[in-house]
Amino acid sequence: MKNVLAVVYRDALIRLTSLTWLFFDMAVPLLYLLMFGVGFNKAVGLGVISNGASVAYNDFFLAGVLSMSCFGSAINQAYGFFVDRDNGIFYEFLTYPMTRGEFLLGKMVFQCVMSLAQTALTLTAAVVILGIPVNVMLLPLTVIVVMAGIAGWFFALSIVAFRIKRNDTFNTVINVAYFVLMFVSSMFYPLDAVPDWLRYISYANPLTWHTDVLRYLTVGIGSSAAIAAETFGFTAFLFISFWFAQLALKKTV
Amino acid sequence: MKAIDVQNLVKEYRRTDGTLLRAVDDISFSVERGSIFGLLGPNGAGKSTTIKVLTTLIPPTSGTMLINGYDVVRQPLDVRKNLCVVLQENSVEVFLTVRHNFLTFGKFHGMTSSQIEAKMGRVIELFDLREVMNQKPIDLSGGIKRRVQVAKIFLVDKPVVFLDEATTGMDTFNKRATVAAIREEAQRGRTIILTTHTLEEAEELCNAIAIINHGKIVAGGTTDEVKKMGLQLFYLSLKFNEMGKELEELIQKFAPVKIDIVNNEVSVTVREHGLALNILSLAQSTGALKHFEISTASLEDVFVELIDGKSTTGDR
Repeated sequence: MKNVLAVVYRDALIRLTSLTWLFFDMAVPLLYLLMFGVGFNKAVGLGVISNGASVAYNDFFLAGVLSMSCFGSAINQAYGFFVDRDNGIFYEFLTYPMTRGEFLLGKMVFQCVMSLAQTALTLTAAVVILGIPVNVMLLPLTVIVVMAGIAGWFFALSIVAFRIKRNDTFNTVINVAYFVLMFVSSMFYPLDAVPDWLRYISYANPLTWHTDVLRYLTVGIGSSAAIAAETFGFTAFLFISFWFAQLALKKTV
Repeated sequence: MKAIDVQNLVKEYRRTDGTLLRAVDDISFSVERGSIFGLLGPNGAGKSTTIKVLTTLIPPTSGTMLINGYDVVRQPLDVRKNLCVVLQENSVEVFLTVRHNFLTFGKFHGMTSSQIEAKMGRVIELFDLREVMNQKPIDLSGGIKRRVQVAKIFLVDKPVVFLDEATTGMDTFNKRATVAAIREEAQRGRTIILTTHTLEEAEELCNAIAIINHGKIVAGGTTDEVKKMGLQLFYLSLKFNEMGKELEELIQKFAPVKIDIVNNEVSVTVREHGLALNILSLAQSTGALKHFEISTASLEDVFVELIDGKSTTGDR
C-alpha cells in the first residue's frame, strides 16, 4: 500500500504543476455534456428510444459522457508513460522497490481520485443545470463503476503504451481506436435502431458494457439481466487487462 | 556472502531480422561488500546490459545472479529493496522541483517526509544544490540535472548502488565531489558497482575491475592485477625544446602500443622496458630533449591494449 501511495503522491505533484491541465481534466466532461448534449437534445426534440422507452437525449447521453471521460482520462494516464520514458524516469521507476502491479495500481488509483472530482462535477451539473433525474441512491455504485471504467481502460491502454515505443504511433493507434470504439458503442445513440451487424459488434465492445451499466445506475435505462452480464463482462475485461499490463510492463525495457 | 555474485550471465536479444545478438556472453564476477567495482569497456561492450539485468530491468537469457543473496530472476522485489541505481540515461522528474525530486525518490524507497528532510541537508551540501532546490530540472543545465540524478541515491541507504556512467556531463569540480562521495559511501559499507569511460576515475576509485568487450570479460581482478596482467606496458613521456617530424616515424619503428604527440610533447606506450629505453636514447640523440619520465602503464593503456590490441596515433 505504501508503494501505491508513493506513486499517487508523485502523480499528484506532477498534476499540480499544471493548473491548465488540471482545469481541463475537470472541465472536459462537463463541456461535452453542456455543449454537445444540449445541442443534440434540441436537435432530436422528443428524445431517443432506448430499451423501448422514450428518454430525453440529455438523460441518455449522461452515461456516455461519464464513460467517455473515463476513457479519455485513461488515455491521458497511459500517455504519461511516454512522457516519463522521454525523461528517462520511467526506467528508474522500474528499479524502485515495488512490484510492477503496485506501480500500475498507483497510477490507476491516482486517476480514480481525479475521476471522483470529475464525476461529482459532471453529475452536479447534470442535475442542477440540465435537470437530469439522476438516481442519487445508486450514486456510490455509480462512483465504483466510474473507477472500474478508468481502471479497465487504463490497464488496457497501458498494454498498448508498453508494446509501442513511439508516442506518435501510440497517438495514431489510440485516435483510431477511440473513434471506432466510441461510435461502435451505445455512447452516443441507443443500439435499438442500428443495423443488426452494428449492434452485434457494439455489444462486443467493453465501452458499450461500461456505458450501459452507468446508464442503468444513473437514469435507470436497461434490463437488469443484460446489465448483470455487461457488469460481469467489464469486470473480466478489467482483470484480464491488469494481468496483461503487468506482463507487458515486465517486457517493456 | 558476496554483495554481488554473477555466474555465467548470458543475455541475448533478437534482432529485427530474426538473428540473435549475444550482448552479454557468459560472464562471471563477484563483488565484495563495501568495495567499489568497475565495469569497463567500450560503447556496446555489454556493460549497461549487465547493469539492466542486475537491477531487474530486463531478464537474463541464462545464468545465476545474486544481489545481497537474493536471486535476480526469482526474487526481483527483494533485489530491488537492496539497491538503487543511477542509469546511463538522464532520469529526473523535469516538471518537479529539485526538492520534490528528492521527496518522491525518498518516498519510493520507503522513507517518511521527515526522514527525507533530515538527510536532504547533507546531500544538498555534497552536490552544491542549495540554490536550485526550488527550481525545476527542465530549467536547469544538463550537468545540474545529472547532479540531481546522482544526488538522489545518497539520500537512501540501500546496500548496493549501481552507477552507470554517473559522472558523465558533470564539470570537473562536481566530478571530484561525486568521486569523493562515492568513496565515502563505500567506506560506510555500501557496495558500489560503476561503469565509466573515464579510466582515471576507475583507477582512482575501484578496488576491483572487469574489462568487458563484445559481451565477454577480457580482464578482471584488482586494479593493480589488471594493470600487471602480463602485458608489461611501459609509459614514456618526452618533452622536447624542438621536435622534427622524422622523430615520430623513428618511434613508430618500435611498434608502440600507443603514441600521442601534442606540440613538442610525446607520450608513448610500449610493451617492453628495453623498448622504452631505446626510444629514450633515440630522443636523447636529437639533442633537443628537455624532460623525460618512464612509468608503468596506466589503466587506460592496459584498456586500450586489451580492447584494441593495436597502436594508435592521435592528439591528446
